[in-house]
Amino acid sequence: MPHPIKHLARGFGAAVLALSMLVLAAPGASAEETLWPILKEQAFGDRPIQENDGMVVIEAPQKVEDAALVPLTVRVPPHVKSKLKSLTIFIDNNPDPKVATLTYGPAAGSGGERNFSTRVRVDNFSHARAVLELEDGSLHMATRFLAAAGGCAAMQAKDPEADVAGMGKTIVRTFAPAVDSNPIWAGQVMIKHPNHNGMQLDINTAKFIPARYVKEMTVKRDGELVFKLDGTFSISTNPNFRFTFGKGEENALDVVIVDTDGAVFESHEPPKGS
Amino acid sequence: MCTPSLISRKTFLKAGLALAASPLLRYVPAHAAAAQVTEVAPGVFVHQGRYEVQSPDNRGDIANASFVVGSEAVAVIDTSGSAVMGEELRDAIRTVTNKPIKYVINTHMHPDHVLGNAAFKQDDPIFVGHYKLPRALGTRADSYVTANRQMLGAEAFAGSEIILPTLAIKEPTKLDLGDRELLLEPQSTAHTDNDLIVTDTKTDTLFLGDLLFSVHVPTIDGSIKGWLGLLEAIGNRKAARVVPGHGPKSMKLPEALEPEQRYLAAIADDVRRQIAEGKTLAEATKTAGFSEKDAWKLFDQYHVRNVTAAFAELEWE
Repeated sequence: MPHPIKHLARGFGAAVLALSMLVLAAPGASAEETLWPILKEQAFGDRPIQENDGMVVIEAPQKVEDAALVPLTVRVPPHVKSKLKSLTIFIDNNPDPKVATLTYGPAAGSGGERNFSTRVRVDNFSHARAVLELEDGSLHMATRFLAAAGGCAAMQAKDPEADVAGMGKTIVRTFAPAVDSNPIWAGQVMIKHPNHNGMQLDINTAKFIPARYVKEMTVKRDGELVFKLDGTFSISTNPNFRFTFGKGEENALDVVIVDTDGAVFESHEPPKGS
Repeated sequence: MCTPSLISRKTFLKAGLALAASPLLRYVPAHAAAAQVTEVAPGVFVHQGRYEVQSPDNRGDIANASFVVGSEAVAVIDTSGSAVMGEELRDAIRTVTNKPIKYVINTHMHPDHVLGNAAFKQDDPIFVGHYKLPRALGTRADSYVTANRQMLGAEAFAGSEIILPTLAIKEPTKLDLGDRELLLEPQSTAHTDNDLIVTDTKTDTLFLGDLLFSVHVPTIDGSIKGWLGLLEAIGNRKAARVVPGHGPKSMKLPEALEPEQRYLAAIADDVRRQIAEGKTLAEATKTAGFSEKDAWKLFDQYHVRNVTAAFAELEWE
């Protein structure tokens, strides 16, 4: 095995040049290229993943303005007819790179565009990835680069009292499609919750504010599972989810949210004429 | 006659003095000259910051910083965005008066108003702020320091640090400077959750901090609803003049508030309508409040962030 220091000395000039070019080209890109293979293996083993094959699309703003609140949308275009099995979203360079995994149920729907949106924290320049698993077990990935930093440490509530006062308040909405024949409905769940990531130091106490975040959310339509979401603290304060589901008889939604303290928040959106 | 031993002793003493002084020197960063200040009313001085974001070139000189001189003491109201700038403000005070600097008041938590505090440690003043300022600064100190060191560069950032207030204001409080009093009024959440209005009662001058932006686009880091409500209340006040956190050195009520009220109302109206229409945050950031684009400096730097904050607040109405 060659001595690393000797090797470094030999290639020093070239390495410095390469490094500075890398920094100019894409900050953070070098670190993350080593991360993704590890994340991928942890989540999917050696299963092949099709990249950028048009089965899944990920959207984020061109320019991130608030790294603590970055809107992220994943779309499965209408030409994808298959039922969905799961969707996992990653932000490679976040302290917990896995943002959320959705495991779909029978009420997830098909026959139109399916999508999922939420808002995330971005700690450092990073790729965001959506890995979609179809019914046949095939994996498809879309990737997008996020030029943002500081979202995890700089995530202080603008008005902590207001947030604590309303903690657990949940709003559930359903949206009928514009065209009656469209078998896909849309839904939204918002919950007042700090989603503390345990990474904020308070210099008054010299202690970190303890982590407390939404761990699990189950969404059912007319009693059938749309999806179960396993979340992490990469999701922003006051988690906000938009999603699609298959049209049912009543289109009533039941939502159960559990946080890391074991608190359970349940809510129900009554039937809306289909 | 000086013996060699005496010379060396002298040199030694000098060296010792220099050594003893060096840790102190680290907290008194090099600066060019006294900050330019204008006396907007008798004994009331304002330094106007530039309409820019922090850079090595402006050394954090992007917010207004003021001081009020009484017969016994001086109070500083905001200290600019670096220890270097704070030191220049201190020099400006010393060209006007030798009275002790007894109070250093911060109108709110933002780094461009507080990072100059370090320059006044040598005066051993009472650092004063809203009662929520310690928590606000305490949980943001790390990220403020990191971000500002990066934006200002090592040279302009040298000596800057977060200094927490030693006097926390929960109820309206008067500070005596000798022959004049300052009235300090803590506000509920508006621009931030720790906005403090300072009034020099002698000249009827209101220091609004960042509750008032002029020319520089407002930035929302508290509550758009709270801010609009507070601006209405401030508009009903009478004052000889107001000093904005960003803008001209001195302005008149109520006209001074009108552009900012119009800007915030434009965002609130657009965002509320889009929420009612079921639009998403991403959609709102592309259109809401863009009618105001040409009315403000630094619109491109802060507007989308403002819409994001407004949306995240108003969607819970």
